[in-house]
Amino acid sequence: MFRLGRKPRETSVRLVVASTSPPSIHSEVEAPPPPHEALLQRWISLADMQQRVIQALVSEIAHTSGFVETEADALSGRFQRLAVSAEQQTARVDSLTHLATGIEVEGKIVPIDRIAGLLESTLGDVVEKILHLSKDSMSMVYALDELKANVQRVEKCMEQLDGVNNTTNMLALNARIEAERAGAAGSAFRVVANEVRELSKVTQALAATMKSELKGVTDGISHGHATLQRVATIDLSGNILAKDRLEVLMVALVSRNANLETIVADAVKEAGLISADVDGMVTGIQFQDRTRQRLEHVVDTLHLLDRALEEIKSSTTTTLPELAGAAPDIEWVKKLLERFTMSEMRARFVVHLLDGELPDDLSDDMSGNNAPSSGGSTELF
Amino acid sequence: MRFEFDADESKVSISAEFTFTDHATFKVIAARLLDGQDKAIVIDLAKLEFIDSAGLGMLLIVRDEADKARRSLVLRSPCGQVKRMFDVTKFDTLFTVEA
Repeated sequence: MFRLGRKPRETSVRLVVASTSPPSIHSEVEAPPPPHEALLQRWISLADMQQRVIQALVSEIAHTSGFVETEADALSGRFQRLAVSAEQQTARVDSLTHLATGIEVEGKIVPIDRIAGLLESTLGDVVEKILHLSKDSMSMVYALDELKANVQRVEKCMEQLDGVNNTTNMLALNARIEAERAGAAGSAFRVVANEVRELSKVTQALAATMKSELKGVTDGISHGHATLQRVATIDLSGNILAKDRLEVLMVALVSRNANLETIVADAVKEAGLISADVDGMVTGIQFQDRTRQRLEHVVDTLHLLDRALEEIKSSTTTTLPELAGAAPDIEWVKKLLERFTMSEMRARFVVHLLDGELPDDLSDDMSGNNAPSSGGSTELF
Repeated sequence: MRFEFDADESKVSISAEFTFTDHATFKVIAARLLDGQDKAIVIDLAKLEFIDSAGLGMLLIVRDEADKARRSLVLRSPCGQVKRMFDVTKFDTLFTVEA
């Protein structure tokens, strides 16, 4: 501690001051006082300036702490909202997983690949039935062709039957003529000729009926053949190849679905990571409390230093009243202020260190908008 | 549809298009094939460009006829649309199909 009765070594004072960066104090007293008095004046002057620096630093720390806390609170609030949004987003992305897995049918999720399998099976059945239909139609066409040929052969038989009937009729007529020519001797022969003629008429009527019926059969076959031809000529090859196209589509759909599942799974993972990061950030910002506590300790220590300086300055000037009113070391202050790169902070220090004014509310200054109200010495710097 | 028989009457090559309108012609071809003596009946499709569902039906009929006669039916070298139709209908499960 300070021992006022002992002459301090001037060189050691200069070294101490120089080692803490601020410039050395230069006394500008006009009449050279005794060496120990001059040294004490410099001590008093330094103590006075240190008090002002401490007060200015306390003020800066308090306002900076307040500013950081306000911003941290705002950031914390924003991150908490972000955390809620991230959770909701994770839930939404998670719900996409169900959509990517399959489609909902009657309240149940049916996987896309199962739908593809079902469709393939159904289309396979359809194609098989088309083949059966085509085969049966062609069998019917061949059967009707055969039947038509049979009927045509029957029609030829009927024509031959007509010829036989005409011949029989002619024979009966000739027999009747010959019977008439024979007179009474041919009476029995005339009876037979009449019977043959009647028989021929009946056969002719029967043949006419058969022709009529046969025409009905022929017409029916022709009609059936025409109908069957219309059925058989419907080309189902396009329908068969539709299966091929649908299978290609389904393969593409299953492939796209697999891609979608991968993307959604990645998105779910990413969303989870984002949520975790945001939660971590919220927790991290809440450690601002500890920073504030540290700064409070620093401020408290600075206050103690201030009081200690005030006490020793007061006791010194009480003992040696001629030391009171030591002039501030302007050059030292100048060199100190040159170290500040922030102009508004420099201006505040000027006001405080040289004019001794207590700092104003710095809240506006923290946002960098305004310079402090100019004191009497501001323009010097 | 056009067709060309081998000397032994058990192998025929058909070309152009095989549709319903060829049913009468194909009946003659099938009868000649079934009259042949070889155990295997071969229908060469290398030059066939198009087949419709009726054509497939007629091939199935001649297969049944060959089965009845205890003979085998081979469909050879389908290509283009004909091969696609065979693939989609899984004709290789119903016939012996050779590339």
